[in-house]
Amino acid sequence: MQKHNQKEHLYKLLVIGDLGVGKTSIIKRYVHQNFSPHYRATIGVDFALKVLSWDAETVVRLQLWDIAGQERFGNMTRVYYREAMGAFIVFDVTRPATFEAVTKWKEDLDSKLVLPNGKPVPTVLLANKCDQGIDVLMNNGIKMDQFCKENGFVGWFETSAKENININEASRCLVKHIIASESDPVQSIEPDIIKPHLNSSKIVSCSACFKS
Amino acid sequence: GTLIKPGSKPPTTPVKLKKVSTFQEFESNTSDAWDLGDDDDELLAIAAENLNTEVVMETAHKVIQNHSKLQEQHKFQEEHLQEEKQVESAELSSVACGDNRLVKSVSEGHTSSSSEELRKLSWSGIPKRVRPIAWKLLSGYLPANVDRRESTLQRKRKEYFAFVEQYYDSRNDENHQDTYRQIHIDIPRMSPEVLRLQPKVTEIFERILFIWAIRHPASGYVQGINDLVTPFFIVFVCEYIEEEVVENFDVSSLPEEVLQNIEADSYWCMSKLLDGIQDNYTFAQPGIQKKVKMLEELVSRIDEQVHRHLDQHEVKYLQFAFRWMNNLLMREVPLRCTIRLWDTYQSEPEGFSHFHLYVCAAFLVRWRKEILEEKDFQELLIFLQNLPTVHWGNEEISVLLAEAYRLKFAFADAPNHYKK
Repeated sequence: MQKHNQKEHLYKLLVIGDLGVGKTSIIKRYVHQNFSPHYRATIGVDFALKVLSWDAETVVRLQLWDIAGQERFGNMTRVYYREAMGAFIVFDVTRPATFEAVTKWKEDLDSKLVLPNGKPVPTVLLANKCDQGIDVLMNNGIKMDQFCKENGFVGWFETSAKENININEASRCLVKHIIASESDPVQSIEPDIIKPHLNSSKIVSCSACFKS
Repeated sequence: GTLIKPGSKPPTTPVKLKKVSTFQEFESNTSDAWDLGDDDDELLAIAAENLNTEVVMETAHKVIQNHSKLQEQHKFQEEHLQEEKQVESAELSSVACGDNRLVKSVSEGHTSSSSEELRKLSWSGIPKRVRPIAWKLLSGYLPANVDRRESTLQRKRKEYFAFVEQYYDSRNDENHQDTYRQIHIDIPRMSPEVLRLQPKVTEIFERILFIWAIRHPASGYVQGINDLVTPFFIVFVCEYIEEEVVENFDVSSLPEEVLQNIEADSYWCMSKLLDGIQDNYTFAQPGIQKKVKMLEELVSRIDEQVHRHLDQHEVKYLQFAFRWMNNLLMREVPLRCTIRLWDTYQSEPEGFSHFHLYVCAAFLVRWRKEILEEKDFQELLIFLQNLPTVHWGNEEISVLLAEAYRLKFAFADAPNHYKK
């Protein structure tokens, strides 16, 4: 079925943020194209898979790790973060406290996870529930672009899982940065051929070879 | 009140399930059960007379075979219970002894030996109509002594509403508002499979969880605990209604006093349950981490092929079994199955903690064929997080429990089997 010289990437992406901000809803919208206001609280980690036709020669498979918002585990996020290539940090525009928690999540992420080249993983900030009108960002007069720059986000999007706003765009942005970080000059010693990744162990071997 | 007055004393259980310390002892204690071998007719005859642990302990295959027969029995008993009410018939057929003994046990208990009897009888499933009282007894909420029950209920219900009075207004205070907000976000989005979207029910759940969290600061509110209220609430609602299907029942149609009783009873029974699994919800959830490790170790002994397969594909037990422990499998099976499962958990010593581990092991191995067919990390994890149990009922749970019971006896007293 697969075109002969098609390349396939497999990326593990994290979706983190405070409880009830809509992480599960965003993933369900992205992967299953539907929405319900009644997704139960995620316990531990939920797993989903999205396959993207990136371009004519490239298929991108995204492993989405939906991590419970109530961070009880302390060190457990370390286990879930392992070998991730990118992350979304989500907050709820109708609840300022969830935005205040964004920096906490970012610090947690960066302290536990770095790319093989020592850089932080590309992370996109999602301002979710933007359909609900009340805009925390405007109310607080926060300049989002500046906030992202200061806190090391590669970009940000106002999203709505309910109305399907900007979720595909945010994902493409993140994948673009992941691919760019992969072809970082430091790493391009490796020939630019990526073999199909059929399971996560391939990520290990792939990442590991950059270490040498 | 007394539902039934059986004319004769129940037959004594042939094999006393006293605490056995070794597998050999267990084996010799139950040798007559095993000696039945393949003689299904004889087994069925015994099953019909003694609805107790020995039956369940038989192999999963035999449980299935028994099931239809047991179903008939239950139906028969239910009919009898109806007749009893109206006609005051003198005695019950000896065929129905198992559950009727349970009814008797529930309504006439005085002594500790009767609560032991209740545990034995409840292990294989409690009939719907006696479940509310049986659960209150099994959880330790109600005393075995029938004369003290009413006063205990009144005292505990009063005590609960004194807590509400004392604490609930503080839910928006600075030091409690995080807890309340988390609960307030989680309750409305619980799955609508039962009642929960009714405002009245939401209120009750929020109060129960908030009071529990405030009174247990070592853990506070942890996501997943909210699920644990549901079975109690549903079972206790059934005590007051005739409807067979609870899902569409309008809770606000119940008198306020009845709702308060249900709320207080649910609170106390949930508290009792949580007392037994406290370390699941304290900081860093050590109880869960420990149990997931034990599950891994256990499965590696029970079914090395499945264990190796998961390992080869880099599937970690924590990725799927964390939820199994945190929510006691409630997210993995339909609610009716959870209720049936809890009949047994409340009848087992350390049912929600120790025995649950064996149920989880049996549950995982139950899917061995499907697991071994999946050849890829993604597919494996998606399968393990979305196990196809929608159609499950008592039959599947009975098989699962029988297997778990077998595993418990094979491994419980041989800790080296699961400890490195």
